[in-house]
Amino acid sequence: MMSTGLQLRVQKHANHINEGLKKLVLSNIPPPPALGNYRWTSDLIRATYFQALTGEIPPETLNYKTGASNGGFDMLHFDFQEHIDQSSIDIRSFDLGIDLNRRGNGSKIKISQPTYGGGMSFGSISLNFMVARAKAAQMLNTFTCTGEGGYPEELLPYKDHVITQVATGLFGVKEETIQHARIVEFKYAQGAKPGLGGHLLADKVTAQVAKMRDSVAFSSLFSPSPFHSVYSVEDHKKHVDWIKITNPSALVSVKVSTPKDVEMVAIGSYYAGANIIHIDGAYGGTGAAPEIAKKNIAMPIEYAIPKVHKYLVQEGVRDEITLIASGGIRTAYDVAKAIALGADGAVIGTAENIAIGCTHCGNCERGRGCQIGIATSDPELSQYRPVDWSANRIVNLYRAWNKQYAQILAGLGLKKISELRGRTDLLYYGGGN
Amino acid sequence: MKKIIESRKKIVEGLHIPTESVEGEGGCGVVGFACTTQVEGRHLLAALRQMTNRGNGKGGGIAAVGLDPSFFNTSLETLESHYLLAIAFLDLNVKEELENEFIASKFDIASQGVFPELDDFSSIGLEIKPPTVHYYLVKPKTSALDIFVSDNDLSKLPKSDIEDEFVYQNSFLLNKRYYSSLGEKKAFVLSHGKNLLVLKIVGYANQVIEYYKMENFKAHVWIGHHRYPTKGTVWHPGGAHPFIGLNEALVHNGDFANYHSVAEYLAQRNIYPLFLTDTEVAALQFDLYSRVYKYPIEAVIEALAPTTERDFVLLPPDKKELYSKIQYNHLHGSPDGPWFFIIAQNVPAYDSYNLIGITDTSMLRPQVFAIQSNEETIGLIASERQAIDAILRSMSEHDPRFGSKADIYWNARGGSHTDGGAFIFSIDKKDKSMVCTNKFGQIVHVPEKRNGSHQIEVIKKLAEGNRFPLVDDCLQKADGLPQLIDQILTHHDPLETFHSLSFLLDIWHLIPNSSNGMLRGKVESGITNALKKVPHITDGSGEYLRINFETWKNIRSPMRNEKSLVIDIADFPPEGEESAAFAIVEAYRLGWKHVITFDWRGQRFCGSGLGPNSDGFRIDVYGNPGDYLGSGLDGAEIYVHTAAQDQVGQIMRRGKLVVYGDVGQTFMYGAKGGEAFVLGNAAGRPLINAGGSPRVVINGTCLDYLAESFMAGDPLNGGGFVIINGVKFDENGAPVDLPEPYPGGNLFSLASGGGIYIRDPNRLVSKDQLNGGTFVNLSPRDMDLILHYLDENASLFRYYPFSKEMLNQLMEQDLSFNLYRKIIPVKLKELS
Repeated sequence: MMSTGLQLRVQKHANHINEGLKKLVLSNIPPPPALGNYRWTSDLIRATYFQALTGEIPPETLNYKTGASNGGFDMLHFDFQEHIDQSSIDIRSFDLGIDLNRRGNGSKIKISQPTYGGGMSFGSISLNFMVARAKAAQMLNTFTCTGEGGYPEELLPYKDHVITQVATGLFGVKEETIQHARIVEFKYAQGAKPGLGGHLLADKVTAQVAKMRDSVAFSSLFSPSPFHSVYSVEDHKKHVDWIKITNPSALVSVKVSTPKDVEMVAIGSYYAGANIIHIDGAYGGTGAAPEIAKKNIAMPIEYAIPKVHKYLVQEGVRDEITLIASGGIRTAYDVAKAIALGADGAVIGTAENIAIGCTHCGNCERGRGCQIGIATSDPELSQYRPVDWSANRIVNLYRAWNKQYAQILAGLGLKKISELRGRTDLLYYGGGN
Repeated sequence: MKKIIESRKKIVEGLHIPTESVEGEGGCGVVGFACTTQVEGRHLLAALRQMTNRGNGKGGGIAAVGLDPSFFNTSLETLESHYLLAIAFLDLNVKEELENEFIASKFDIASQGVFPELDDFSSIGLEIKPPTVHYYLVKPKTSALDIFVSDNDLSKLPKSDIEDEFVYQNSFLLNKRYYSSLGEKKAFVLSHGKNLLVLKIVGYANQVIEYYKMENFKAHVWIGHHRYPTKGTVWHPGGAHPFIGLNEALVHNGDFANYHSVAEYLAQRNIYPLFLTDTEVAALQFDLYSRVYKYPIEAVIEALAPTTERDFVLLPPDKKELYSKIQYNHLHGSPDGPWFFIIAQNVPAYDSYNLIGITDTSMLRPQVFAIQSNEETIGLIASERQAIDAILRSMSEHDPRFGSKADIYWNARGGSHTDGGAFIFSIDKKDKSMVCTNKFGQIVHVPEKRNGSHQIEVIKKLAEGNRFPLVDDCLQKADGLPQLIDQILTHHDPLETFHSLSFLLDIWHLIPNSSNGMLRGKVESGITNALKKVPHITDGSGEYLRINFETWKNIRSPMRNEKSLVIDIADFPPEGEESAAFAIVEAYRLGWKHVITFDWRGQRFCGSGLGPNSDGFRIDVYGNPGDYLGSGLDGAEIYVHTAAQDQVGQIMRRGKLVVYGDVGQTFMYGAKGGEAFVLGNAAGRPLINAGGSPRVVINGTCLDYLAESFMAGDPLNGGGFVIINGVKFDENGAPVDLPEPYPGGNLFSLASGGGIYIRDPNRLVSKDQLNGGTFVNLSPRDMDLILHYLDENASLFRYYPFSKEMLNQLMEQDLSFNLYRKIIPVKLKELS
């Protein structure tokens, strides 16, 4: 238990942060000049705060649809044909859900929105945030993912909505954590830092984090860049078979980054028995991923999606696998564009952090971690973002996103988000500054 | 040499360098063997069938060298002096035109024919009709050769070299015309060497043998390969292995990260791949080095898998000089990435048939070598031990001259100064003798087979206090190990037979002259036969009851005094919903405390899926268990009385693992705890990313990267550690020091916790092998700790890795006595 003094201090900081978040979107004070960058603009960050606070679509005074990168999703736009009276849209008449198992066998899982939460590990983010993400996933009927730092027992009440990640360090992976899960995700690589493995620097490896990972407190931790038991697609099949022995009913997701032969990786994963192929492009990742890696190694996701989608279509297996995209997908519009490019859905990481107050400052890694209390393992800082408050913010964000999907579908004359898949004809390229 | 390369310029005109292999593929199943007597193709079948999970049915191939002349209606002389052109026709309409232009006008034909085929390819499960294969036993026409020589100014070359190059270029042009230049592929050359044949299909390699009716076809050297191309639709086998140079066929397990640069390197020498897989460029490279450059095999291997880092430093000066020159010229062309080659080769000049296995410098693919030597000698190479044993089992069933186990098994250490990561089995064509050498030409000796009372005396001592009287009985009557085994085998009570044979397995390493695959095979098959006599679960009751794949659904809870469930694993599929692992889990759930599993044939995941807290459950394993044995183990105990394969004990958390043999790659990857005792060696990267408190004794050694990213706390305060004893057992059954207790590098790299206790009385492990670790003195507490585990190790494997006097010194905690050295992580700046 926290001492009263500490409790008061935590309360004070948390209140200040919350007040700040409100003021940034509801008052007329100008945003701090250092907020945002070309990709995550000040507008996008404040629009995310707005949605997390209200659950509503932001006002048109904020550009909540695109950033200012002059590339990628920021240059793609929907070619809306129908002019719809926005107020007449009834979100309930749209099917925004996607199937995560499209094979003939195994359990059927349909999530109610076209996204789920990406893996962020215990250690890299606070336990409060982890539990909040799981709680939100349960409320929204979707999933969140453990990342590779183990499976805190606080997640167990939400286990039907938690994906167990098996990553190259095998941190915290035990038979029961594989058995808890309806979906097991192999993380072979991360688009933010492909070929680099993972790391958690010593300062964040607190006693609790070390215990969860069976490691030594305050010693840096590394995940190898490959699975040393998997150097080939045939090894990968063996790996998938292993999960299926441990938990026969689990769906298997394979998370890979986007090398230039990403479509070969995708088809190989399909033949090895994967249900979900999750391609993770450049630009995602927290501040712990090196900047130079985030922006220069993996293929941007908007290139990778159509490449993989078309190849799977050509090979005649597209309708048996769920293609999920991630890496720099920030907004509902980004999600819809990813789907129009050929994905079934998307995985979201950073936007959830921003929903609970992340300022995208990039200081996730050193010292005690995040001063807002998100990307931290510090017991005091972790209390700044309480579970219920955070869960509500995340739920609000996605409710606002769902409204935007409905708008987009209505504007395109579609009823189901799945009908949007691969409709590159509905996109055009242009704009920019 | 320059002239040959120059002469190829015109045949490659207009081709461009491929930047990536279009046929993405991963690891594959590879197996090969060479025998002093010709062996039928059917002996490959069982091994290939057991490895189908290493391919996906989209490419299978075989190669054979040292063929049976009667199949071709010819003499051995003709087979040795003529080129055997084997051409795959995907479209028979081109046959006449092709034969006119590429065969009849250029070669004298000694014999020709077509390979027999099954009437219905779908009857063996094939989806794509394999090509019709015609063969032509040919010699270049003098007239054609003369033109070739004058056109290319090759008159100074020996005639055999000119002929070789002529054949090579003719096939290249044929492939260019009928294969690579067309959208619709029509035909391609499967093989064109002397006394060497390649066949391949869209399917598995075993289906090659079935489809072309090769079951009774005989050859000295065989290799087989299952391919795992990731591309979905494959309708012709052009991309399947083996690939050819001239007198060699190469199969490959893995893939190259630098295909483009290898292709560019070859292009600079006027060599362009036409089939666009990385295996093809490897075969072309091998041919370039061995035939065109005439490098000795040692230099060829160095060019492919360069010796680097510490291993390079430890080379003798003359090798250093030679190797740096080779590397200077060829390093940029050496294939990077995980690969393992098996090559079948006919060397006319040296009068030998060769089987060669080469592993890459990083040893990223699994590989096992083995020899059995009796009246006939057989050398084997495979991606897993079970494939080797499957071949030997098949041969022993048909021919009493062969035993069902090899005399010795070993792994190669890629790019090393110790064995060079490659072994060559070479059969002398004249006297049909075989010799196995490593890259440096050092001979691998098969231990002597001397049976007699000296064996019985040792076994008697070990059997004292043994709870199975049958052994004692038989020991009184036997005057050597073979008689002892025979007596046990003829005993009427199968359970007594089983227990006695199992006892022999567990002390096998201590029995003098026991490196004997014939005897070992008898013991192991004796266990299988004895356990098959245990009453079936539906047929009776008793302490031991049996199930097999047909009947395991009848499994039930144990009743009254039923103690052990015996599971016949042989017919279970290797993985999936019907796998043996599920039968074991089911037995555990139903309340069985002990299962005895036997006749494993590569089935995977033994002991996985039991879930947390499986304490009190014990699995005994006989046969060839497959990969991922004991992965996820959390409380139960597994005793493997033979050897295990790759990925043993991945994420193991608690419980106990005992292996009376070797373990493979990434042993206990990501383990959190548990105890493990390994009698033999571990391959590469044992204990990588392990944390918590795993406690491991490895009595042999391991290849490389021991305990990378180890983070198992403080061994003296509940953390984990590895004891490396660095011993092997000699022909007297006595423990002797290995040449080095740890031959590799990168010991403890990136480690943050845990400890390694390495038995190193001669201080052979040096600082430059450590990477993030440091030597510290042992404290009395360290000694107590290791002694505890060495005691347990001794009760399992019946030996101490030191003498009585040394033991006393240890017990007295004489700190001046330092048989073991302790390595702990240093706090690196980069890690904090």
